[in-house]
Amino acid sequence: MATTPLIDGLTCPVPLTSTERVQLGHGSGGKMSASLFRERILPHFDNPALAVLGDAAVFRVPATELAISTDSFVVSPLEFPGGNIGSLAVHGTLNDLAMMGARPFCLTAGFVLEEGLPFDLLDRIVAAMAAAARRADVPIVAGDTKVVERGKADGLYINTTGVGVLHVGARPGPRGARVGDAILVSGPIGRHGMAIMATREGIGFETGIESDSASLWPVVAPLLHRFGPAIHVLRDPTRGGLASALNEIAQASGVGIELKESSLPIPGAVQAGCEMLGLDPLYVANEGILVAMVPEASATAALECMRADPLGVEAAIIGRVVAAHPGFVVLHTALGGTRIVDLLPGDQLPRIC
Amino acid sequence: MCLGIPGRIVEIHQDEGLAMGLVDFGGVRREVCLAYVEDQVEPGDYALVHVGFAIAKVDEHEARRTFEALRQMSQLEELDWMREVADRSLDAMSGGPA
Amino acid sequence: MKYLSEYRDPTLARALIGQIRQSASRRWTLMEVCGGQTHTIVKQGLDELLGESVEMIHGPGCPVCVTPLEQIDRALALAAMPNVIFTSFGDMLRVPGSECDLLQVRARGGEVRVVYSPLDAVALARKNPEREVVFFAVGFETTAPANAMAVWRAAQLGIRNFTMLVSHVTVPPAMTAILDAPDNRVQGFLAAGHVCTVMGWTEYEPIAARYRVPIIVTGFEPLDILEGIYLGIRQLEAGRCEVENQYVRSVRREGTVPARTLVERVFHLVDRQWRGIGTIPMSGLALREEFAAFDAELRFGLSEIRASEPTECRAGEVLRGLLKPPDCPMFGNRCTPEHPLGAPMVSSEGACAAYFNYGRIRQRQHAEV
Repeated sequence: MATTPLIDGLTCPVPLTSTERVQLGHGSGGKMSASLFRERILPHFDNPALAVLGDAAVFRVPATELAISTDSFVVSPLEFPGGNIGSLAVHGTLNDLAMMGARPFCLTAGFVLEEGLPFDLLDRIVAAMAAAARRADVPIVAGDTKVVERGKADGLYINTTGVGVLHVGARPGPRGARVGDAILVSGPIGRHGMAIMATREGIGFETGIESDSASLWPVVAPLLHRFGPAIHVLRDPTRGGLASALNEIAQASGVGIELKESSLPIPGAVQAGCEMLGLDPLYVANEGILVAMVPEASATAALECMRADPLGVEAAIIGRVVAAHPGFVVLHTALGGTRIVDLLPGDQLPRIC
Repeated sequence: MCLGIPGRIVEIHQDEGLAMGLVDFGGVRREVCLAYVEDQVEPGDYALVHVGFAIAKVDEHEARRTFEALRQMSQLEELDWMREVADRSLDAMSGGPA
Repeated sequence: MKYLSEYRDPTLARALIGQIRQSASRRWTLMEVCGGQTHTIVKQGLDELLGESVEMIHGPGCPVCVTPLEQIDRALALAAMPNVIFTSFGDMLRVPGSECDLLQVRARGGEVRVVYSPLDAVALARKNPEREVVFFAVGFETTAPANAMAVWRAAQLGIRNFTMLVSHVTVPPAMTAILDAPDNRVQGFLAAGHVCTVMGWTEYEPIAARYRVPIIVTGFEPLDILEGIYLGIRQLEAGRCEVENQYVRSVRREGTVPARTLVERVFHLVDRQWRGIGTIPMSGLALREEFAAFDAELRFGLSEIRASEPTECRAGEVLRGLLKPPDCPMFGNRCTPEHPLGAPMVSSEGACAAYFNYGRIRQRQHAEV
């Protein structure tokens, strides 16, 4: 704990501004708020729209059909191998747009900061957001900062909203799966969830696993460009893992899904961590892979297209869409048996049994 | 009961009188209590671990022996129906009769 | 993963399946005792692949499923106490008590934490001396050494704020209870490999002899299960009834002696109620008087909590292998993992949950045919 000023909590006409942590005063809208924004946030996100410092950002709309998506991020711990809540917040919303076939073109960022949050931690998070946004070439043009009392937020919460331009002619969506489609995944599964799990007190373990958190637009754009409306479904399997995403698509599209266990790309360390805790990699969260469903005839070409991007080098064809058992996902095990991969009622829990 | 998995003992130390060790499970590592196998194991050995405790040393010699027996048995098997089982599951994969 | 992944080899599995089909002159009935084995069988579709040669009846080897309702209610009461940090293995969090489960208690403000090892709970007690840390010690003999060490360690370190809510059960009395039942159909057993890793197999020799059933000490991977089934059928075909060890890489006849020694030091055998089955004499473990200071039931005065089982759940018949989950009238409609009527549907090792999660498709296919 950093030393707190003696007058902490008291109203004083001359507040100490040179502290190392977020204080309630930083949310009050006055000088402290202004300096928090100017010194700790604006320099990272600097861009013409934001620099105007108006109440809202103004920009020209490049098309008439837009996609908009919002997401809030409450992950704990705030920092984890492979990223932090900031990079996660940027990638997550960019990906939601990309899964609709929309090129992201701007983001907003809203912060709820907990009193006592160390500035150096805030700096790392904001810097990571800025870096992620810059890499994706998407400016953060508007935002907000609020401060709540100690104990009312897990360090901080972030909301990001993104706006994107829909690709002409392509409308990938959860209802788009068609019988006969091939199912592809762009990379190995289970990394994000296991990276987080490894840090949990009481459950933790040492591992080289890093979160796969990344913006997927570079994988999506060439697919849309080359295949257009033949991309029937795009989905990033985040919470609930691959299994949950596929179940939702099967139900929304009214089709069955069959997976081949031996085709699933699962890193050895993810498999090992899951064995130890009694978890199934199919339900572990991902933040940097996507599922795509395309007509069988385009499968090989789509796979090559994915593999051309660094994020997609381990892309694989993992199954197909079928007419049988609509709404259900069935796995063909390596031994030749079959089993249903169902939705779990809640979070997957480590088990000993 | 159930979830016990084998891991390789990387190093052993005493934690206030309790034998503990770092065990590697295929790339994932964790502290494990080695008190029950202390006299039998050294770094490099494999142990079966359940809820953070090594409950037995893995007998690598026995493991190899029976695995070899299984492998030999499988090489001798040339039954038609086995191929049929394999074909049936391939059928199921390529969209044949469900 | 070494000593794990090799035992999933599809080629060798097919060879074993071939051997089983070849050697079975009729359809035999075997019971796998342990929930982890049930999990592998249903998850890999092994029962589907062996259907003609063997019927696998799923035994009561799910300590979560057999924990009495009373004990769950006591756990919930503890978790709701303001000064208590209630720690548990993940398996117990969704098991329904009379009114709610641990997750709901957490939502209402109780501090409930999942731990991987009982020693983590002891460490938590050490770090939080002003709080009471309670650990839900559920399990078979496999977990007893870990729980025994937790108490031993707490005593050694002079930790005063650590207690355990004990709900341990032992396997051999359950097997004899099943064999004693007049409607028993089990002809042979796959004994629980990790229980036997700790305990050895001497306790099973008199059972095999008295009831004339082969008992195969079996592991948990597909090749282990298949080999265990093969050895069981081979004995049945030859009219033998012995204890045989399939799980040679982990199990020795005497088990792990230091573990058994500490378990006997810390715990003693008591009569125990098995949810859905009833009381089985000398089938549970309780803390010896010497360690009474670590008994949560004594410290928190929980003996007043009593519960009666809802009558409609037929878990008892499922646990004894008399009813297949899909044949239960409530299965899949009134009773699902989201709103379970009993523990075998909630626990990931429970037979009902295993069928629901993995096996429903075959029921549908059979129904469609």
